[in-house]
Amino acid sequence: MKRIRVWDLFVRVFHWSLVILFGANALIIDEDSAVHEWIGYAVVALIVARIIWGLVGTRYARFSSFPPSRSAAMEQMTDIAAGRTRAHVGHTPLGAWMIYNLLVTMLLIGLSGYLMTTDMFWGMEWTEELHEILVSWAELSVVAHIAAVIFESRRLHVNLPRAMVTGYKENMPE
Amino acid sequence: MTHPASLSNKTPLGLMALILIQVICAIFFATDVISDFAESGMALSGRYHLIIESGATVSLCAAILLETRYFLYLLRRKAHLEKSASVATMAVFDIIESHFDAWQLTPSERDIAMFLVKGLGIAEIAKMRGSAEGTVKSHLNAIYRKSGTANRGELLSSIIDTLIEERPASP
Repeated sequence: MKRIRVWDLFVRVFHWSLVILFGANALIIDEDSAVHEWIGYAVVALIVARIIWGLVGTRYARFSSFPPSRSAAMEQMTDIAAGRTRAHVGHTPLGAWMIYNLLVTMLLIGLSGYLMTTDMFWGMEWTEELHEILVSWAELSVVAHIAAVIFESRRLHVNLPRAMVTGYKENMPE
Repeated sequence: MTHPASLSNKTPLGLMALILIQVICAIFFATDVISDFAESGMALSGRYHLIIESGATVSLCAAILLETRYFLYLLRRKAHLEKSASVATMAVFDIIESHFDAWQLTPSERDIAMFLVKGLGIAEIAKMRGSAEGTVKSHLNAIYRKSGTANRGELLSSIIDTLIEERPASP
């Protein structure tokens, strides 16, 4: 059993900043306030920074280390179905799909929110409805993400939430 | 032995999409039931609507559970069938599986037993499954215990017996 460094400081700060900012905007901050708008822009800036980091960052932060792959995702589900416990060092294939889903959804939430503030779309109902549907989708995704992290931590005996804090996956097979 | 299309070794993508859509619907219905109940409780006017909607949500959840189990079964099956399995291969596969069913093997034990039938060694099985050799050995013990055999040879012959035995004519 060994411990492997997987998440660099940027990835960890990004992850928990997104948790705090999205959580605040979705659950706490008054949606008609200026603070809501500024947090929204901050989230978009975070996502843009993450996309750049995905191109130039460290090994496991790069998109090339977790390309969206249908066959790899199927393989991971087969592992689950057959009780196999092959560990993934970086992002797992299913986890990768969730990351792309969340990145795109966050950008679309930011875009639809911005449109609501422009003269052209101000007061239009469909932008607001789109914004809300996207937020619901994001919330659903977050719940699924947390459930999957708990499930995978138990299945593989690797504490994934802690890895996102310390940067190290512990208890990895040799 | 004929196989319906759903039992072939194709990736069950359609089933996965169906499960995903039904999960979203179930969440939508469940939140609706909860908000209806919070609003009017069991007041007479909306009572039947509420009962029917709850029933629909519960049965949808049950369907999702059954479909997920079937989906996992198909994945397990696909894990050991070659990409272009012939009808004969699938028939043999079914007979092996029926033994595993009768022995009530867990998903992990089935996986290991199938590797065993295919002739893999303990080290290879451990590598394929990403687990320690000790873990595979303890699974093997459970497989031999449940099947009433003592080693790979006996396990194989108990399966092959079924493949070649003459079926007695019914009186």
